[in-house]
Amino acid sequence: MAKRYDAIVIGGGHNGLVNAAYLSRAGLKTLVLEQRHVLGGATVSEEIYPGFKFSVFSYVVSLMRPEIIRELQLVRHGLTMLPLESTITPLPDGRYIYRGPDSAATFRSISQFSTRDAEAYREYSYAMYHMAKAVKYILGIRPPDPTSFHPRELLALLKLGKHFLSLGEENIYTLVKLMTMSSADFLEEWFETDPLVATLSASGIIGTFLGPRSPGSAYVLLHHYMGEIDGVFRAWGFARGGTGGVAEAIASAARGLGAELRTDAPVAEVRTRNGRATGVVLADGEEIEAGLVVSSLDPKLTFLKLVDPEQLPSDLVGAVRNFDTYGSSGKVNLALDAAPDLSCLPGDGPHLRGAISISPSVAYIERAYDDAKYGRFSKQPYIDIILPSMIDPDMAPPGKHVMSCFVQYAPYQLAEGTWDEQREAFGVAVVDTLAEYIPNLKDIILHRQVLSPWDIEQTIGLSSGNIFQGELSLSQLFFLRPAPGYAQYRTPIHGYYQCGSATHPGGGISGAPGKLAAMEILKDLRK
Amino acid sequence: MSRDFDFIVIGGGHNGLTAAAWLAKAGRRVLLLEARQTLGGSAATEELFPGFHFNTAAPDAGLLAPQVAAELGLHKHGLDFVASQAAAFAPLAGGRGLTLWRDAERSAMEIAAFSAADAKAFLPFHRRTRRFAAVLAKMAALQPFALKSNSLRTLAGWARLALSLRALGGRDMMEFLRVLPMGAAHYLNEHFESDALKGLLAYASTVGLMQGPRASGTAFMLLYQQMGADNGAYRSSLLPRGGVGRLSTALAAAAQAHGAELRTGTPVAAILCEDGRAAGVRLASGEEVRAGAVLSSADPRRTFLSLVGGPQLGPRFSRRLRSLKLRGSTASVHLALSGLPEFPAAAGDPSRLDGAIVISPSLDYAEQAYDDAKHGRIARRPVLEARIPSLLDAGLAPQGQHTLSILFRYAPHQLAEGDWDAERERLGDLAVDTLTQHAPNLKSLISDRHTITPLDYERDYGLSGGGEMHGQMGLDQLLLMRPTPGFIGYRSPIDSLYVCGAGAHPGGGVTGLPGLLAARQAAKEGYAKQT
Repeated sequence: MAKRYDAIVIGGGHNGLVNAAYLSRAGLKTLVLEQRHVLGGATVSEEIYPGFKFSVFSYVVSLMRPEIIRELQLVRHGLTMLPLESTITPLPDGRYIYRGPDSAATFRSISQFSTRDAEAYREYSYAMYHMAKAVKYILGIRPPDPTSFHPRELLALLKLGKHFLSLGEENIYTLVKLMTMSSADFLEEWFETDPLVATLSASGIIGTFLGPRSPGSAYVLLHHYMGEIDGVFRAWGFARGGTGGVAEAIASAARGLGAELRTDAPVAEVRTRNGRATGVVLADGEEIEAGLVVSSLDPKLTFLKLVDPEQLPSDLVGAVRNFDTYGSSGKVNLALDAAPDLSCLPGDGPHLRGAISISPSVAYIERAYDDAKYGRFSKQPYIDIILPSMIDPDMAPPGKHVMSCFVQYAPYQLAEGTWDEQREAFGVAVVDTLAEYIPNLKDIILHRQVLSPWDIEQTIGLSSGNIFQGELSLSQLFFLRPAPGYAQYRTPIHGYYQCGSATHPGGGISGAPGKLAAMEILKDLRK
Repeated sequence: MSRDFDFIVIGGGHNGLTAAAWLAKAGRRVLLLEARQTLGGSAATEELFPGFHFNTAAPDAGLLAPQVAAELGLHKHGLDFVASQAAAFAPLAGGRGLTLWRDAERSAMEIAAFSAADAKAFLPFHRRTRRFAAVLAKMAALQPFALKSNSLRTLAGWARLALSLRALGGRDMMEFLRVLPMGAAHYLNEHFESDALKGLLAYASTVGLMQGPRASGTAFMLLYQQMGADNGAYRSSLLPRGGVGRLSTALAAAAQAHGAELRTGTPVAAILCEDGRAAGVRLASGEEVRAGAVLSSADPRRTFLSLVGGPQLGPRFSRRLRSLKLRGSTASVHLALSGLPEFPAAAGDPSRLDGAIVISPSLDYAEQAYDDAKHGRIARRPVLEARIPSLLDAGLAPQGQHTLSILFRYAPHQLAEGDWDAERERLGDLAVDTLTQHAPNLKSLISDRHTITPLDYERDYGLSGGGEMHGQMGLDQLLLMRPTPGFIGYRSPIDSLYVCGAGAHPGGGVTGLPGLLAARQAAKEGYAKQT
């Protein structure tokens, strides 16, 4: 046993790195242990085909908390955000809906379907901006415990109640709707054009096992709007170098603050003595001691694998077993020999520098969901495409491109066969669907990487492949995330903390769980 | 201003009758107007064929709030209940069957034949469900209060709500908050492994909802359906002797005993509004009747868009009414039978058949039935709840014969193709065929059949969109969102016009609470005292 650290952070994803950076900043001697050969977790760029760099898993950034960027000086550490501002939705009949930074162009495009919708779109964007601002407060606080009579908790609840009431009656109703409705129902109160509702509602299903008509999806919609605030990024952004660029900047900041980052260092076990965490044991048997241990992994790993669940209260173990981490999405990454050509809008154009959304109707996405409900991948899936090399030429050799396709739905558990048997069939279904809108696609594919939820689990360790480390459903948010009574980043084991996306405020590249957990840890140390 | 009555109540369903009876008892002059020839609305028992009496919409009155019966002295007016032994019976493929009894321990023994683990988990589940349903019952009976108000009454309301939650204890309170927004499927999967048990329990979770058991918020409905009577962790079901309509008869008798005037066959054409307040109604006959205030138990869309209408509603309120999700998804099929159908799975024990007979063999089966409706089709393999009320109450059918009523889910009000007049009998056939798979002699016993589609519920029972709950009870249309955001407490943008039907808090089901709470609110606000 060689060194002793003040803190060990398990997992070198963006939340683990943010957590380590903040702990180091407070003077703690901190070590990050990442099982893979690269840092970043799901926030990683890798060259999986020679000359082509892929944002293998997570592919867009918008939720990153501006205060974290500021406090960790991430821009100085190389973080460069490139805007990704438009979305084009090609339709089977050859028409398309284009929404971009030029509001006149957006208006014109939607007007071709409905002038009323084109007008409503402005109001809608404004309303969502306000709702995102209204909930921003909640993203920055540690969830209070509503069962506690401790003055600190009562005060926090009171503050929360005051904040809620200060939104004003109309905003409260909108917020309640967003918390409870389906995204399609919510959007149909604004719009009459079905493909517009469909493409907007898709933000409500990303990463979740819900359809656009499932209640609860409107919250996920709001969750994806939370990035459009603070004026730091406009809309969705793309990090130079891929999403790995974000992880690299945070890693660089953490190192600069004194943290030590080790890759190829899978943790087998968290050591405890007398109900206190004392360090970790690596898979190769190496033992490392530390004053405290923070897990950025999901709760199934944090509570059921890294420690002996026998030493935990049974209600926590039960809650963690029931914690819904069911994965529903896959990823298909393509290396392309040339630029893709959309049949609805041939040739180059700003639409290739934004997202391309295969979401032609609400019923289309619902049918895709119906497949998944019974254990089949969608034959005609919802696909969210971006072409990072169009925005950042370093991602692919000149004239060639990388294409990132986020695909829904791909259920973690297949009714028939395994993902090893079905993986390529899934890839074919995705390419076939894309080829209906991009006729030249099949001719220009140099390489295809297909990732199912099972692959996501195997590669980066997300249990059941859920990209948010746990469904963003009302029963798994705020003071219920990841488990009732354990939402304040602590665990029943002294000196053992959690800081992953399975804690408040949840998934997406926000860094917020990592930072909020660090604040709680530092509070405990000051005591 | 001349005035014929203190209050006019529109609609003689159980909520309208409750409001009329309560106001009359409080000494007000009340006129109740019902469009149909019979009172009861969706809580009606009708003689569809000579000698055969059917509960044509609500199958029972299990959710009736005890305070309604007590305050109005309904038992004095002829209300009494028959209780089944079985809560629910699920005939399954292969001749097996699962019965849930009112007696939860007896149910646990039945469940053991399917899964020992489930049998063990059932009793704690049952106890917790009762605790949670009791909190919901308290919430349902609370006078709704505004979001922001400094009145002591409002504060007291919030405080009572908070206290009833806290009274659960920390652990249960968290669990309650966690469970309410869940999908019933997810919730049941946490507790049980047997498809048969989960499918059966999930039935109650989508009553009146155009959703499958996976949908968020259906766990709420699962608990809501168990408010009141203890029914062994199944949907509450008390049947008034003489049928559900007997509840309405008792309410009518109470109302009349206190001096209310009840007129049937008297459709209202419009609510008269003067200077932004309701001053009475105009009947279809053209007659105008004036009153100090009007309570409407019609659904909110009908009340405001059809009966009030016009610019006085304001654009925001009108938009909200149009967004109101009614989405009827239930049809019913009523059969006159020459004898008792034999279910091999009931093993010759007719007491298994005296509760609900439910075809919902698994969560996926129910979800797939919903999938059809979601895409505008009648469920090809429907979820059914059948009742044979004549088993417990022989007076409902001629000697030795029976009535069998089937609630058919899912049947969307809005069909993607075809129309309901063409599909009506096809649905009837499908219901009978589905049930016949479990009761082979059923078809040979049928002497008459009457099918009611969601469109019929709209046309004949006045339910807009066929919506049996006057606004489906998803989490987005409850509490401060019911009937629409901004009009809490039975009020409306029209002064002295109240909503007193299922569209208002706490919502659908035969509870009597919207009628009772709206009447209290209207009486308190004193319109009838002005001269």
